[in-house]
Amino acid sequence: MKKLLQKIAKKSPWLYRINAGSCNGCDVELATTACIPRYDVERLGCKYCGSPKHADIVLITGPLTARVKEKVLRLYDEIPDPKVTVAIGVCPISGGVFRDSYAITGPIDNFIPVDVNVPGCPPRPQAIIDGIVEAIKIWETRL
Amino acid sequence: MSSFLKIAIRNLLKGPSTDTYPYGETFVPKGLRGKIKYNAKACVACRMCEHVCAGGAIQIREVSDKSGLEFILWHNTCAFCGLCEHYCPTKAIRLTEDYHTAHRQEDKYRYVEKGFIKYVPCASCGTPMVPTAPELLNVAYDNVNKDIERLSKLCSKCRKEKVCG
Repeated sequence: MKKLLQKIAKKSPWLYRINAGSCNGCDVELATTACIPRYDVERLGCKYCGSPKHADIVLITGPLTARVKEKVLRLYDEIPDPKVTVAIGVCPISGGVFRDSYAITGPIDNFIPVDVNVPGCPPRPQAIIDGIVEAIKIWETRL
Repeated sequence: MSSFLKIAIRNLLKGPSTDTYPYGETFVPKGLRGKIKYNAKACVACRMCEHVCAGGAIQIREVSDKSGLEFILWHNTCAFCGLCEHYCPTKAIRLTEDYHTAHRQEDKYRYVEKGFIKYVPCASCGTPMVPTAPELLNVAYDNVNKDIERLSKLCSKCRKEKVCG
């Protein structure tokens, strides 16, 4: 039974979105990737879920502002292992244009183990799909 | 009702609108601002790109053995705004239409565009200097003649002496 579940779970990782103080540019691109039939991320077996407890692949946007940091870390701990983390946009990866600001505590990999980076301001939906494909490859090895 | 049917039939004939990417090819709009390409041969090291870079992604610094200048652009903090291309006098820095930016964490700090400008000695006094790119001469002069080419091989000090006496 466990083996069967593992086999099925490989084909259907669920996505969860965390906004760590993003400007919403990357979030709009993430919504585009999922909701517009032209890009349709559900072809890859992925599906956005509303609860962190159901998540397999975590997509993080935003530079981790000082105000949201504790909440993001608490939310991240709620996501069951194994999980794959994808940083979307330049902000979570390096801070981007907000780097060295007093309001920023990132880059996010100081606090959270990141697996895939998708830089861009914001990245194209196709680039996000590239990142998710890479994350699915990692997800298959972790199960 | 009839208008709805018209749309339904048209959609049936047109087929799915989903892009086949990542299994197939996708479209790239013209003028997409993607990964940056740097041409060290055309660069005159004016450092304008470093100055205007919104994300602070560009760094131009002298290498440790003082044989030239090193250009480093880290794509992971680049906002792909295109200011560097706009302000570059010789168009040595260009934004390509390559948007494939996804990479693994272990490559995070290797995700850079690099270039190296080797110093050349001044034709008169031998002081190491940044070579003058022909692209810059084309920007500055309508027609580049032998005199100008000879002057471009001199360092700023020798050039001043030669021109002003």
